[in-house]
Amino acid sequence: MRGGQHSFLKEFCIPFLLGAQNSDGGWGFYAQSESRVESTCWALRALENACIPVSMECLHGAREYLLKEQLADGSWPAAPHERTGGWVTSLVCSLWSQQKERENSVRAGLQWLCEDFPRDSRLWRRLLRRVVLSPGVFEQDESLLGWGWTPGTSSWVEPTSFALMALHDCPSGWLPPGSSRRCELAKRLLYDRTCPQGAWNCGNPKVYGVEGEPLVLPTAWALLALRNQPAHEKKSKSLVWLRNTFGSIQGSASMAIAGITLEAYGVCLPELGLQLEKLLDARDFLRATVTVSWVSLALSPKRCWFPLPEGAA
Amino acid sequence: MNQRSAQLIPSFQRPASRVLIRRALNYQRDLGAIILESLGQFQMRVRGKTVLLKPNLVGFDPLGIMNTHPAVIAATRESFLRLGASAVFIGDGPAMDRDTEAILQSVKLREFTGPLASIFRDLNLDDVVRVPLATRATQLKELFLPKTVLGVDFLVSLAKLKTHHWAGVTLSLKNMFGVVPGACYGWPKNVLHWAGIDNSILDINALVRPDFAIIDGIVGMEGNGPIQGTPKAAGVLIFGDDPVAVDATACRLMGLKPEKVTHLARAGTLLGNLEVTKIHELGERVETVRTPFSVLEEFHQLREKS
Repeated sequence: MRGGQHSFLKEFCIPFLLGAQNSDGGWGFYAQSESRVESTCWALRALENACIPVSMECLHGAREYLLKEQLADGSWPAAPHERTGGWVTSLVCSLWSQQKERENSVRAGLQWLCEDFPRDSRLWRRLLRRVVLSPGVFEQDESLLGWGWTPGTSSWVEPTSFALMALHDCPSGWLPPGSSRRCELAKRLLYDRTCPQGAWNCGNPKVYGVEGEPLVLPTAWALLALRNQPAHEKKSKSLVWLRNTFGSIQGSASMAIAGITLEAYGVCLPELGLQLEKLLDARDFLRATVTVSWVSLALSPKRCWFPLPEGAA
Repeated sequence: MNQRSAQLIPSFQRPASRVLIRRALNYQRDLGAIILESLGQFQMRVRGKTVLLKPNLVGFDPLGIMNTHPAVIAATRESFLRLGASAVFIGDGPAMDRDTEAILQSVKLREFTGPLASIFRDLNLDDVVRVPLATRATQLKELFLPKTVLGVDFLVSLAKLKTHHWAGVTLSLKNMFGVVPGACYGWPKNVLHWAGIDNSILDINALVRPDFAIIDGIVGMEGNGPIQGTPKAAGVLIFGDDPVAVDATACRLMGLKPEKVTHLARAGTLLGNLEVTKIHELGERVETVRTPFSVLEEFHQLREKS
């Protein structure tokens, strides 16, 4: 049983999130900031998983905000008034993956995702890079295809992981044609982009022959995206890296997601609640709603999103 | 056009710029006195104004070699307050990792500045405004930019003296990549790479040209910068109210030819002074503090003949 987390969740995190909700139903990255799709997704997920009664009005407002923000092509934009969708589309699709009443919205989002192809894997682009760049600048398989942060750019570890999670979470009947091929390529891309020592950074494992340093968040997201996939040497190595790094994590956002990831792989972290509380309390943290949402999810003893291993709650 | 947009002035119409080089051999010295006295030479009108310091915080840096050193950030902040600024904020949008709290903790910024919650702005997560580009170096047409950056009275680029494996160098102008919000464009801000790094630097600086530039060259980075290079002590701080002139001077100090750095050469046409004849050197002369920095072989053409 983890110590202390329930009171911190109940007395600090949830009131913080409830107090930061905007009148349009969404959340900004800070209290009183303009509502954004990303922060609203995480706050809503945190409140839905909190095991603490939250008013229907609050949850309904957030859902209405997200519905309102969906663009005509099925995507969601990362910035207010943006006319082009982006990586946050995966977050909404994943959030609503089990909500039958949102099926049409999610189907449209998934369709957009599967029609969004990064530019770096295109044949002409790969040929151009081969001509322009010296050999050894990048040592990665450019033919593989994942997802970018914004349309028409390169594949990166985090948006690829978010898209994989969305496609995995949704019922198979909602998936557009071709999605299984995209998932297969994306998984191969993630394994291709692991750092030589294991784990991931944003997606550059080696540049100019120099090994890239792994980072906590990309590693955690990639491991979550690959959780239900067959065992793989690189996955095991990355899990070991995350476990070994966990004790030295200095940010509560990274620690929360790393904790959720390790627990999703069956690692018990009895001190996680106390460690997170200390990390948030010990410093004058920047009061970002996404950070508090992730901490809430990590502290929630009965979360449905990547639930705790049996007996750990 | 937003209130921060640069005035685009052809180089032949532009008056000479002033750049001040000061020796500072390490971060233990009384940086506050050096910086305050240096800023005083520029007669800046900051009394009663809001100031944003934009340091270069690229990632976890326990050794203090890739980021603007926290001692320089804190001393600069203190100096602007002593010059009468009504508020001095620190803001950056780190490019590679979204856990800005963890980066701040790793660089121990709070140990130098005190509590950060009310003075630090994570530009990756700031409220944004869609701004049409003032120049068309890229084909982006517009960028979302943080309201904090657009709203302050006085913007200071507080860069680190480093080489860069794509742009040749990363100084005052390249440092402004950090104002582009990750929440809109991702980590890294890949849309700028696709638009062309050199051209993006121009468009960003034309939109939000720093009013003042300071480069932390006490310890810089050479070789495979901006993250994986080698520490290089140059023992200087560089100041100026023309970021192009400051970067050009920094290049010469590093033994590199600014006119061969693509983004600087282009910036020299409209954004500031590049030619040595149009830069009035104050303090130390470049020749007396020159510290040649190594560059990747791809950038060998930047090297000045020794």
